[in-house]
Amino acid sequence: MQIVVCLKQVPQVAELPWDPATGRLKRDLAEGMTDPAAKRALEAGLLLKAAGGGELIALTMGPPQAEEVLREAIALGADQGYLLCHPALAGADTLATSQALGAAIRHIAPKLGLILLGVASSDSETGHLGAQLAEELDLAAALNVEQWQLSPNALRVQRVSDGFLETLELDLPALLTISTQAPEPRDTPLGGLEDAFASGQITRLGPEEIGLDPARSGLAASGGRMLRVYSPAAQKKAVLMRGAVKKSVQELLARHGDRLGGIIGRDLGAAE
Amino acid sequence: MDFNPCSKHRLVRKTVREFAEAELGPIAAEIDRQGRFPAEVVEKMGPLHYFGLQAPRDLGGAGLDTISYAIVIEELSRVSAGLGLCVTVHNSVALYPLLRFGTPEQIKRLAPDLISGRRIGAFCLTEANAGSDASGVETLAVAQGDGYVINGTKIFVTNGGVCGLALIFAVTNPENPRQAASVLMVERERPGFSVGEIEELTGMRCNPVSSLFLEDCRVPAANLLGRPGQGLKIGLAALDTGRLGIAAQALGLAQAALESAVKYAKERQQFGKPIASFQTIQNYLADMATEVEASRLLLHRACAQKDAGQAFGAAAAMAKLYCSKVAREVTNLAVQIHGGCGYSQEYDVERYWREAKVTEIYEGTSEVQRMVIARDLLSRPV
Ligand SMILES: Cc1cc2nc3c(=O)[nH]c(=O)nc-3n(C[C@H](O)[C@H](O)[C@H](O)COP(=O)(O)OP(=O)(O)OC[C@H]3O[C@@H](n4cnc5c(N)ncnc54)[C@H](O)[C@@H]3O)c2cc1C
Repeated sequence: MQIVVCLKQVPQVAELPWDPATGRLKRDLAEGMTDPAAKRALEAGLLLKAAGGGELIALTMGPPQAEEVLREAIALGADQGYLLCHPALAGADTLATSQALGAAIRHIAPKLGLILLGVASSDSETGHLGAQLAEELDLAAALNVEQWQLSPNALRVQRVSDGFLETLELDLPALLTISTQAPEPRDTPLGGLEDAFASGQITRLGPEEIGLDPARSGLAASGGRMLRVYSPAAQKKAVLMRGAVKKSVQELLARHGDRLGGIIGRDLGAAE
Repeated sequence: MDFNPCSKHRLVRKTVREFAEAELGPIAAEIDRQGRFPAEVVEKMGPLHYFGLQAPRDLGGAGLDTISYAIVIEELSRVSAGLGLCVTVHNSVALYPLLRFGTPEQIKRLAPDLISGRRIGAFCLTEANAGSDASGVETLAVAQGDGYVINGTKIFVTNGGVCGLALIFAVTNPENPRQAASVLMVERERPGFSVGEIEELTGMRCNPVSSLFLEDCRVPAANLLGRPGQGLKIGLAALDTGRLGIAAQALGLAQAALESAVKYAKERQQFGKPIASFQTIQNYLADMATEVEASRLLLHRACAQKDAGQAFGAAAAMAKLYCSKVAREVTNLAVQIHGGCGYSQEYDVERYWREAKVTEIYEGTSEVQRMVIARDLLSRPV
């Protein structure tokens, strides 16, 4: 059985400026890292492989430097990596991305058992990709999965949806997006990194190798268009509190008690 | 010549930074104040290969190149220089000499426990009357039967309180002053081996630096590293490598201080503006950043020389001399930029400042580094 984990390289900083003209993030301003949500999916893949064997394949679509996330995946225990990289793929939205990844998976995983993704990437946070990829490949899918159990022909998973705990069973091959409540990703061993760079197997693929129709790739195939991106305007307002200290403190708590309590982790309303 | 870090070095840095910030970040100030060795973190570091950074993969090490090694020590020290010290001393002056000078039998018997971190290594040269002058060692190892009986006291032993294997420099041939000392590897559990009080240090306080006592401590001849009389040679080879680690440690401290200073200068307002808007502060920051970059280049070049199999002793001494000086100056400016807060334990910069100083002292003082550099310089044909 082959397990494919889709990993995305995201900028390392939390708040990245964007280009006001195009609405796209200025990704070149920050170092890249593996998307934290995708790392949960990789961890799930590693646990599944340890329990049931099979081949764990790491797949990413991105610029040449996105190869780093594949090296990291191999350092952690993935068997090999595929980098889907070509100028024609640039500017893809989640729909075009799902078409490209789908074509790549058909090409690299003839014995596909499972596809794993993070719930939503830390940079764009749409959470669309898993569902779109399942549609593209016509697979059973469960999103936001916290626990799983694999038997030879079916996969039983658990997730919280709308406050209810759901247990689902899926036929294989299937697709899961892994919740941020799933097991914590393990640390990368330094010797794994050495191996990943010395002998890790990474293959670069373009649209031609995977038989992707140019009309179904990149910006051209993207269904959504970003019309406007903006920061919600923040207002600074100075409030002067007068009178006795006790009164001022009470007033402060009344106005901002929730937020202050949130910061220090205490219910200030309960205190006296 | 490519001055950009390669993808591997970037990923090594990112990996260690993430680990150090997550595991050591929250406790770095506390373990310094309490003088507590963070055994719980060290335990996690073993399986991640931090205690076999350059040991071969087939022995369970990480098999890293020397630039990666320097990056690991820099990143650990950027968060906790005391733990960076533990890791560099273990790898460079305990494990490395064993792997380089040990017999296959010794490596098979002693290396796995070091590489896995089950035993922490220590390097014991310094004594009351032997500091910069390594020939002053008075600890005596007398050949007896199939082994040696060791008597003496070692001081300022990094990792002393937690070490599982100590490399002891002891006189075996008193009649031959040039080849008097040998290195004996002593396991912690050997009768006659004991740990003295932990030093109350100015910095590196999470590292249990201590004295070690050897009282009629018997070790088999199989624990002699190299040949009798090779002590000085082994010690100097170990220190060449060790100095790269101390340079990296100093660099990590300087980097941490620079980052703190930039952050504080942007936040702190005086005269109605962030202090970062004042030209004097900008000049400080510019000089700090320049020195940190220069340090890193010098260090990485020395590491590359080692990996290329070239002589690197003088380059390592230059890197150590320069990085430690920069660490002292940059941490000092970082305190200055923080004003009164810089002198308070509320902020990390006072710790960086306390810790930077010792990088000019151990593994050869700056005066000794200059001696090494000058000797190399003057020995070249003109
Ligand atoms: C935190 C810490 C950890 C340490 N860890 C270890 C360890 O793990 N193992 C170990 O063996 N040692 C260790 N040391 C000891 C350290 O290596 C020595 O302190 C150092 O080598 C200097 O020796 P000394 O203290 O005896 O100073 P001295 O040698 O007495 O030097 C005093 C001063 O005189 C200068 N000086 C000496 N000789 C000359 C000369 N010929 N020309 C010009 N100047 C000279 C020195 O540079 C220095 O400024 C550690 C020390 C500290 C503080």
